[in-house]
Amino acid sequence: MQEFNLKELGKRAIQLLVSLFVLLTVTFVIGRVLPADPVGAIVGELADPAAFEAMRQRLGLDLPLYQQFFLYIKALLHGDLGTAILTGNPVMQDLSTAFPATLELATLAVIISTVVGVPLGMAAAIFRDTLIDRIARVLSLVGHSIPVFWFGIVGLVIFYAGLSWVGGPGRVDTYLEGLVEPKTGLLLIDSLLAGDTEVFWSAVNHIILPACILAYSAMAYITRMTRSFTLEQLNQDYVVAARAKGASSSRIVIGHILPNIAVQLITVLAISYGSLLEGAVVTEIVFSWPGIGQYMTNALMIGDMNAVVAGTLVIGLIFMVLNFLADLAYVLLDPRTREAS
Amino acid sequence: MKSFWKPIRLALAVSLMAAHVPAAIAATPNDQLVIGTSLVQVLSLDPQQGVDAKTIEILTNTYDRLVYTDNQNGNVIAPQLAEKWDVTEDSITFHLREAKFASGNPVTAKDVVFSLVRLMKLDQASAANFKTAGYSAANIESMVSAPDDRTFRIQFPKTVTPDALLYRMSMGVASVVDSVEVQKHVNNGDYGNEWLRTNTAGSGPFTLRRWTPNDLVMLEANKDYWQGVPTLRRVIMRHVPESQAARLMLERGDIDIANALSASDIGYFQNKDGFVIDRVQTGGFYVLSMNAGRKELADPLVRKAIANSIDYAGIEKTIVGAYGRARNVPVPVDWAGAIKNPDWGFHPEEAKKMLAEAGYPNGFDLTLKVVSQAPRVDMATAIQANLAEVGIRVTIQQGNGADIVAAHRARDFDLLIPQTSAYMPTALGALDNFAYNPDNSAEAKNAGNFVWRSAWDIPEISKLRDEANAERDATRRQALVTEIQEKFIAAGPAVLPMFERFEPIALNKRVIGYSGHPMGMTRVNKITKSDAQ
Repeated sequence: MQEFNLKELGKRAIQLLVSLFVLLTVTFVIGRVLPADPVGAIVGELADPAAFEAMRQRLGLDLPLYQQFFLYIKALLHGDLGTAILTGNPVMQDLSTAFPATLELATLAVIISTVVGVPLGMAAAIFRDTLIDRIARVLSLVGHSIPVFWFGIVGLVIFYAGLSWVGGPGRVDTYLEGLVEPKTGLLLIDSLLAGDTEVFWSAVNHIILPACILAYSAMAYITRMTRSFTLEQLNQDYVVAARAKGASSSRIVIGHILPNIAVQLITVLAISYGSLLEGAVVTEIVFSWPGIGQYMTNALMIGDMNAVVAGTLVIGLIFMVLNFLADLAYVLLDPRTREAS
Repeated sequence: MKSFWKPIRLALAVSLMAAHVPAAIAATPNDQLVIGTSLVQVLSLDPQQGVDAKTIEILTNTYDRLVYTDNQNGNVIAPQLAEKWDVTEDSITFHLREAKFASGNPVTAKDVVFSLVRLMKLDQASAANFKTAGYSAANIESMVSAPDDRTFRIQFPKTVTPDALLYRMSMGVASVVDSVEVQKHVNNGDYGNEWLRTNTAGSGPFTLRRWTPNDLVMLEANKDYWQGVPTLRRVIMRHVPESQAARLMLERGDIDIANALSASDIGYFQNKDGFVIDRVQTGGFYVLSMNAGRKELADPLVRKAIANSIDYAGIEKTIVGAYGRARNVPVPVDWAGAIKNPDWGFHPEEAKKMLAEAGYPNGFDLTLKVVSQAPRVDMATAIQANLAEVGIRVTIQQGNGADIVAAHRARDFDLLIPQTSAYMPTALGALDNFAYNPDNSAEAKNAGNFVWRSAWDIPEISKLRDEANAERDATRRQALVTEIQEKFIAAGPAVLPMFERFEPIALNKRVIGYSGHPMGMTRVNKITKSDAQ
């Protein structure tokens, strides 16, 4: 059994490496073929051709594509993701400041969407075709079909400009910027570590609206999936049997249905979390949120390929790790897979 | 059913409570200025490298130059680090005041020498204006000197007048850096570029406290500033890429100034209580570039016909608004030496006659390339409609900035709408993008030059421009400047100015003393904020 696990692990590791390599190649080629020109962004529109050419050489863009790729891979194997044109910093350093901002937002969003979406989906299935089901269906349809951009702006107009319930764009009130030294990069945690409650509440104030808006679109998906998983279970014999035995509704739902749909749910939640982590570009732009989505969009605009490729790799890696964790959760939650392995 | 609703009610109550945490303070503190802007183009804070407008605004406040352009006083050159200067036949000698860098080191003439040598040796696009004046990486060390700590001397190359050199000395690229501090951070002969990209070493009223790319720039008052302690403790430039979000923040008082608003959001603040729109004159223009390499457009008569088919006044009123003012002479109407505008406008009958005379009674087809950005896209649509009236059928091709600029540089267009800016606030500074093309051949590859991009060969005007730039006698220079403008109009310009370009910014009325600078060099050390809202 031990042997089998090692083999399985090795197979997975190779799969992961191959996927990453394919991802890297595709991103690199697309990036270099794109018409975006980083040289123009750096030297300015009015620069003379000599300055253009000099910068092109400095960036190594005068080399043939395969040589550029080779050099990139070589540097990558030495742990060097290159320098971002946009910021002049090593890409890794940029990602390590941009990513926590996204992580904080996405984590809060996925928590909110799970806490609301799963019960709502189950309730919709249990009380099928009643008012609650209809509300759930309308909510998830709206969340699925209306662009996040619109929700963002309308949310700001109502809750920020109108009601003053929440803070505006940015992670914290401007006059509180820079008061807390970043340790984890997660402002909510850093401010608590520093014991600065003013910064903490300001950060809560600022994160709540974008997190709720992101959570709403994720919730739409989670609710729909939970509803259909639950419906499937409700028709199963074991539910009928439990009812016949006189088990209470809550006992059936929590004790029997939930464990049975848990595996499928975990996959859905992992996918939602993954796509939130890749940076909700639009939300980040509307809310001036300095996360990975905004960072990569700006990099893409000027053709800053070091930043784009490295960002893509990190996101790819996160997806794969989440997938792996979801698989691991199956084994823990589903007795059949546990016994099979 | 009842038991089901209970937890939902509870959850709702809890989430409402969570949402209602202490509300944000409505106004920014009085000792801080918060500017909502776009920081996408801020790539380097090295004064001898950064050229983007927002970068210049930061450098203006973190560094001093020897002189500055006083935009509140007719754009004259005024003293900054230099108390006074003497102009002789072959050089300018600056006498420096006593001042200190933020590091505590004294500002000396050696620092000025170091900064200018650094500019030319780094040899980036930022050095362009000093190159056109005749300085180079090879000659700079022989052109600048520091006879003593308080005296700095710079020699003239042949082709530049004292005025034009003084204006160059007021630019962001001529900022004086702390040579002692920078030399501590030199790496592989990079003149400290790596370090200075993300740090400041100046003597300006503010120092850089923090810069997070695409997030925020935080400047802190330099308490030892030689002009006195700045009134503001802190200046924050916050990246707010979405115009509507910036509008809400300005309205709510979370930012004091918004300088990257869309046309519709500018319109929103135009007549709103508590806010003012400041139209910052740039000295540049919105231009209709015509490719004189195309058969039809090579004919001056056709170009004049086009110039006489556009409803400038109408477009100004309905589209350009706060962004500009109709004008076909490439010198802003209120700048010294500007001539009267020709009688161009929407004259379809005259234009048709000119086209017939040129051999195109039935018109022809053209494409018009434009950056998909207000107000230029809407200008393109209006021009398309105008030209249709005289038989010129225009297809509009939109693109992002990089695409359109690349097509412009490669002469790959029929019509294109670029925008210019003046490199110095004088008639000659404004004319530079319009009246100079020393070599029109394709081999010259002078892609930085707007006239070359239009393949418009103007040897006579170019010669006059050279003469004017080298002419030291103000009266004779003015005569040349007038002649250039007249010849430009008479030639039927392929680089046709349509509107003087303004950059509208929206300010909270509480902000007192903000005066947008035409070269983007707005100082904020004397700004105050009133309590009255």
